Amino acid sequence: MLVFLVRRVLTMIPTLFLISIVCFVLIKLQPGDYITQFLDDPRIGPETIAAITRQLGLDQPAYVQYLKWLGGVVTEGDFGFSFLNNRPVASLIYERLGWTVAVAGLTIVFSWLIAIPLGIYTALNRYGWAANIANFIGYIGLATPDFLVALLLISLTLNMGGTNVGGLFSPQYIDQPWSLAKFWDMLGHLWIPLIAIGLEGVAGLMRQMRANLLDVLNQDYVRTARSKGLRERTVIWRHAVRNAINPLITTAGLSLPQLISGTIIVSIILNLPTIGPFLYDSLLNKDQYVVMTLLMFSSLLLMVGNLLADLALAWTDPRIRFE
Amino acid sequence: MKKGAMLVTATLLLAGAAYAAPKKVDGYASLGVVAGKPGGTYTLALGDSPQSFMYYGVIDSNLQTLAQQMFDGLVEYNYKTYRIEPALAESWTVSSDGKVYTFKLRQGVKWHDGEEFTADDVVFTFEQIVMNPEARAGDAANFEIGGKKVQFDKVDKYTVRVTLAKAAPAFLQQMRTFIMPRHKLAKFTPAGGGKPADINSAWPTNGNLKDVVGTGPFKLASYSTGQKVSLVKNPDYWKVDAKGTKLPYLDRLEFLIIRDPQAQVAQFLAKNLDAININGAQFPDLKQKEVAGAPFKVVRSEALFGSPPHLAFNFDAKDPGLKKAFSSVAFRQAMQKAVNRERIIETVYNGLATLPGTPMPPTSSFYINTQKYMDKFDLKAAGEALDKLGYKDTNGNGVRNIPGGGELEFALTYGTDSSVWPPIATIIQDDFKKIGVKVNLKGIQSSTLLSTGLSGNFEALLLAFGDQPDPELRKPIWQPGGALYYWHRSTQPEKPGGEPNKKAMATWERQVYDLLEKGSTTVDAAKRKALYNQWQVANAKNLPVIMIAKPANIAAVSNEYGNFIYTLGVIPGYNPVPLIYKK
Repeated sequence: MLVFLVRRVLTMIPTLFLISIVCFVLIKLQPGDYITQFLDDPRIGPETIAAITRQLGLDQPAYVQYLKWLGGVVTEGDFGFSFLNNRPVASLIYERLGWTVAVAGLTIVFSWLIAIPLGIYTALNRYGWAANIANFIGYIGLATPDFLVALLLISLTLNMGGTNVGGLFSPQYIDQPWSLAKFWDMLGHLWIPLIAIGLEGVAGLMRQMRANLLDVLNQDYVRTARSKGLRERTVIWRHAVRNAINPLITTAGLSLPQLISGTIIVSIILNLPTIGPFLYDSLLNKDQYVVMTLLMFSSLLLMVGNLLADLALAWTDPRIRFE
Repeated sequence: MKKGAMLVTATLLLAGAAYAAPKKVDGYASLGVVAGKPGGTYTLALGDSPQSFMYYGVIDSNLQTLAQQMFDGLVEYNYKTYRIEPALAESWTVSSDGKVYTFKLRQGVKWHDGEEFTADDVVFTFEQIVMNPEARAGDAANFEIGGKKVQFDKVDKYTVRVTLAKAAPAFLQQMRTFIMPRHKLAKFTPAGGGKPADINSAWPTNGNLKDVVGTGPFKLASYSTGQKVSLVKNPDYWKVDAKGTKLPYLDRLEFLIIRDPQAQVAQFLAKNLDAININGAQFPDLKQKEVAGAPFKVVRSEALFGSPPHLAFNFDAKDPGLKKAFSSVAFRQAMQKAVNRERIIETVYNGLATLPGTPMPPTSSFYINTQKYMDKFDLKAAGEALDKLGYKDTNGNGVRNIPGGGELEFALTYGTDSSVWPPIATIIQDDFKKIGVKVNLKGIQSSTLLSTGLSGNFEALLLAFGDQPDPELRKPIWQPGGALYYWHRSTQPEKPGGEPNKKAMATWERQVYDLLEKGSTTVDAAKRKALYNQWQVANAKNLPVIMIAKPANIAAVSNEYGNFIYTLGVIPGYNPVPLIYKK
């Protein structure tokens, strides 16, 4: 087990290295660079453009820029600085990490808490009207892009005379210290992103859970268990559901990078202070070291998520052994 | 010095008073400004998080919006006439040769931390920051006049003398530049032992906000990443209203960080924002709500600034036939007749635009009406004009042919990610087709339109440049050989900053070049205006580009607030927010 873990962690290093090269090449393949956007600004003359280019090291060959960045990461844990903000990348990401983790974490929990029971219910009561309604909502959730759901919810709230149509707080609470009133205000805002981001996840997970469970219910061991005379509840919860949930654990691991890039559009529309829009701005502005760091972070999360999923699978599924 | 420039134009706008004299903001009754009352919070939208709080360190429109409220320049615009009037400088004199400006500073002005504002701050700001070529948002190029750096000298505590190598009447416009506190920033400049580039990293958004001090109407109070920036009233501000009440009226000015324009409208409708600027597409919905009794007003105004779109033909097109056509005045005049400006105004701008003028906006004191040179939309006349020029359909495929060449067909480059470029491009394509001119649309990202233009890699292009009150400020655009004169790049100097290539210029371009060159050194105001009149006529007749429309400026404002005056965005020296009050 420990050997497996160490081996997995070690293989991440060359993978990340390769990913970083691919990312940097892709960034450099985009037409123009950070400077391009300033060409039509009457405040900025050609001399200033030249000075900024030199300050940022953009006048050096691409491989030198890459090696310098990599050198900083490896030797000092320095992920470069943001062209836009004149500040180290790490501190900028750190500022936005809290709300990103909170929002993404809550939506993941929200979608699991709703999707798994619904999936089980619809699998067990395939032809009931309640199951049909749940399925129908599931299809709609799958078919509707999350930003559209966000817009619909905003419009609905506005028409009902509500004022919490974006952000996480009402304006007056944003820079106030935490209080019960602020907490309530947050809950009043949070339901829109939870539904908008979570709904798509709910639908997908529910359909997956239902299919898995239906699959498992036809397996021999379930019939064996039933014929042994085990109570239906035990058959379903101890044997069937436990097995049916396995593939979803992998899904959970893969959903970690969603933290960064999964909610860009919704975050922009709902005005959430998360990393998504920050990545989007950095991409638009070709703020290369921020983009690099966020993409690397995202890749790392994907690998860590995979690893965690494997470990969780090993724990839930007795058939999996590492040795 | 030219003889004409020797006329004495020294003006003393206000008698220099030796005591702390606040500036009285008066005379705007025609704009609907009334006496307000103190108090209240006013909330606006900010397009994104500020990248820093150092105005000269990052090129960031969001920071500019904030800086506008926190800092002042020596002079500012009149809200109505856009003429220069006193701000931190209470008065000034100009020497008779137009080369020496002496500014008397307003006494008793305090920085937000209580320190006094003096001539040292002014000299420091220009010498160490604005003219520092390493400051990313500095302005070194505009402070090199006649090949020499502008010189700033402290005469006494409240007097600054500025010396130019040659007369430059538009120089006063540059004095709108925001002044920074020396006592807070010296350590980031060579004057305080720092490196020239250090200024870029002063006042980061995660630094101590108390260090960010200005002389402006509001002080920085707090910043929540990605959510909100709060400013509070500067109780010591140096302006009073007509009745002597201290400005600003508002206690707090808050900016909610909202990226998406639709989300801004939603927040406005939810009453979380008190005013927003909107576009023609958003107008009908909001106007309908206003008519139905919503508690806000949609305001349409003819403000000075704003970017009229134009159609440019590449005089240096790679195809020799097109090159010949595009650089011909007669060809452009013929094509102008096929540009349906009225329809574009009606359908693209929802009627919220007017016919364009010359590159000067009608609200500028330099503007003259040249609309008689602007032909009416008339496809038949356009076709006849092309016939006369020899562009006839010789092979009968419905597309005209270039004499001795191929088809009269070109690519029109436009921005796809915008609500105006795609429909304008389609209307032009459609109408041109009717007169046998084939247009192939080529969509690119709007943000790359200008760099595409500057690279010369286009045949025809849709673009817009912002308007300014003084033609001198837009010389790089409209003067042949200028850095932004992209439709005729062969006029540009070989090396940036060198002599423009006059050999490549057409006769009318030489004329325009000389007019603008003369305008930039003529001190006599009447003579200067006469030069710019000639320029506008030359421009209207020769059509370096075909101007399409002048979009109106529209905003929506909550009924709870009074004295709203439209501002397009950040125009240093034009900030009517201190007049806004809560009813």
